[in-house]
Amino acid sequence: MASLTIRNLKKRYDSLEILKGVNIAAKDGEFLVLVGPSGCGKSTLLNMIAGLDTVSEGEIVIGDRVVNNVHPKDRNIAMVFQSYALYPNMTVRQNITFGLEIRKTPAAEQAAAVEKVAQMLQITHLLDRKPSQLSGGQRQRVAMGRALVRDPQIFLFDEPLSNLDAQLRVEMRTEIKKLHQRLKTTIVYVTHDQIEAMTLATQIAVMKEGVLQQLADPQTVYEKPANMFVAGFIGSPSMNFVPATVVQDGNKLAVSIEKVGSQGKAMNGHRLVLPLPAGFAGAADYVGREVVFGIRPESLTQYSAAEAAGNEAAHAFDCEVDVLEPTGADTLTFISLAGAEVVARVRPGHAAPPGEVMKFMVDMSKANLFDAGTKMRIQ
Amino acid sequence: MADLPQYAGSDSAMRVALRWGLYLMLAVFAAFYLLPLFVMVTTSVKSLDEIRSAGLIGLPRDITLEPWQYAWSQACIGVQCEGIAPFFWNSVRMAVPAVVLSTLLGALNGYALTKWKFKGSNIVFAMLLFGCFIPFQVVILPMARTLGILGLSNTVTGLVMVHVVYGMAFTTLFFRNYYVSIPDELVKAATIDGAGFFTIFTRIMLPLSPPIIVVCVIWQFTQIWNDFLFGVSFASNTGSPLTVALNNLVNTSTGVKQYNVDMAAALICALPTLLIYVLAGKYFVRGLTAGSVKG
Repeated sequence: MASLTIRNLKKRYDSLEILKGVNIAAKDGEFLVLVGPSGCGKSTLLNMIAGLDTVSEGEIVIGDRVVNNVHPKDRNIAMVFQSYALYPNMTVRQNITFGLEIRKTPAAEQAAAVEKVAQMLQITHLLDRKPSQLSGGQRQRVAMGRALVRDPQIFLFDEPLSNLDAQLRVEMRTEIKKLHQRLKTTIVYVTHDQIEAMTLATQIAVMKEGVLQQLADPQTVYEKPANMFVAGFIGSPSMNFVPATVVQDGNKLAVSIEKVGSQGKAMNGHRLVLPLPAGFAGAADYVGREVVFGIRPESLTQYSAAEAAGNEAAHAFDCEVDVLEPTGADTLTFISLAGAEVVARVRPGHAAPPGEVMKFMVDMSKANLFDAGTKMRIQ
Repeated sequence: MADLPQYAGSDSAMRVALRWGLYLMLAVFAAFYLLPLFVMVTTSVKSLDEIRSAGLIGLPRDITLEPWQYAWSQACIGVQCEGIAPFFWNSVRMAVPAVVLSTLLGALNGYALTKWKFKGSNIVFAMLLFGCFIPFQVVILPMARTLGILGLSNTVTGLVMVHVVYGMAFTTLFFRNYYVSIPDELVKAATIDGAGFFTIFTRIMLPLSPPIIVVCVIWQFTQIWNDFLFGVSFASNTGSPLTVALNNLVNTSTGVKQYNVDMAAALICALPTLLIYVLAGKYFVRGLTAGSVKG
């Protein structure tokens, strides 16, 4: 087990810069998830941690050792690949022991290690099969077994679940999490799936175009995204963004949103003024200026008098319903605010039919404000 | 025909007639191509008297294996009358090491060019590929000079070297195209497991290669066994391969032209490649079309 520190890491291919100075620190036992859209550099970063790609600038530190020039085999890491990369010519047992064999571990020790890992992953009955005789989920387990058997300081996972079908993916996700809770080994996990990131991580690193956008625990990333990219990338359906103006409302600050009718015409005088709760100190500098008001769908629901009474940050407003999308648990209700499409998560049965006006409630304690120019979150 | 799709309305009389017409045409073409082989086989088991009286075409009246025995161990090639047997073994001594070496080198090249890419590896590959298109005749003089300098003129070793060098372009191409379809992640996983260049080659790449090895062996064996030009240019009289000996046998005139012996010798010469096709032919087609290795 070891900590992982990445200092000002850069990667260049000729003139093309893939990573533009990334700083990440993961404590011992951390489950760090690198997440971002394809091409954001997350896989390059993982390959560099593994030593499969060279460092152009900066430092990678595992434990207290700078590993920039250490060969992959000497980094004491193990990696699980997206395609599993099982050796097709070897049995499951040989696949798992290959690394030990190369390192000249005594045969008895190898056998014991295989047994232990196979039991942990429930693949004992598969040990003498070839990878081609296994299902996707079983191959995934074998790939993890091959990593586990070496008892490394850090596990690296490169989109390990993306080749599985939806149901199996959820099962294996839980299993990886259980495994981490049991072994408490540091894990670096790459995915493009924000749900995987949220469910697995103790720390999420959101990346875009080679730049680290935010490094924080999942709840912080979800509730206080550093910028509009993170806010839009994490969460499904994603956060609603509505153009708004910051106004002084008595002794409080508030956001003022223009209500637009179904014909797209501005309804003069119909502005929605929502007071901001305390804690938006930064908003004072924005009085009279355009900002982007961000609110997650679940903080925008049907009006309920009981809930409104218990939460002083709750504010009601009326709006016409455009479209309904029932998901079973909730009905996603689409409305228009200031020309932007906005989704509300409404309990089934409370949603008004399209074309009718419905009373909504917004929980302003969950609101976010973003600078319209820099797209950064206003603290 | 059982696996032809049975579309509705596909069994009208017109279509059936067309189909049989097609088969008839194919049969005629096949017969046309097989005719020379038929003449060779029948002639090789006829006695010389029978050939003189009944001509070349026609089934033999009495089957005799004497021409085969004579060709193998008594026929005169130049002044030496020991048959083609010694030259057959010359060819084996040349072809086997040349096939093994060129296949191994091709595998190693293909592995290095796909899994250990270096700066300019594509240029190296393009240049190797160029070797496939250089005609034999162009390299004869420079090769003779090189063999002379190396002291390998008129030796089997020299011939082996010529064939290895010339064959490497093809075998590299075969293995390179095969290895391209093997996922790079296998090599990465093995690297993290602690395996080096040669360990990965012998423990992972070679065990995955039988289909392409078969292709290479068939291709190389056929090329090298059937080669005449290099054999006639670079081998001594007693060291020549079978193809050269066959030519000399046919051209050696001792009065009577022994067609049956000539045919038997030619068939002996063709047998080994035929045998390899029969034994490994199905792997040949499979190997040529082999795509990705499903892990």
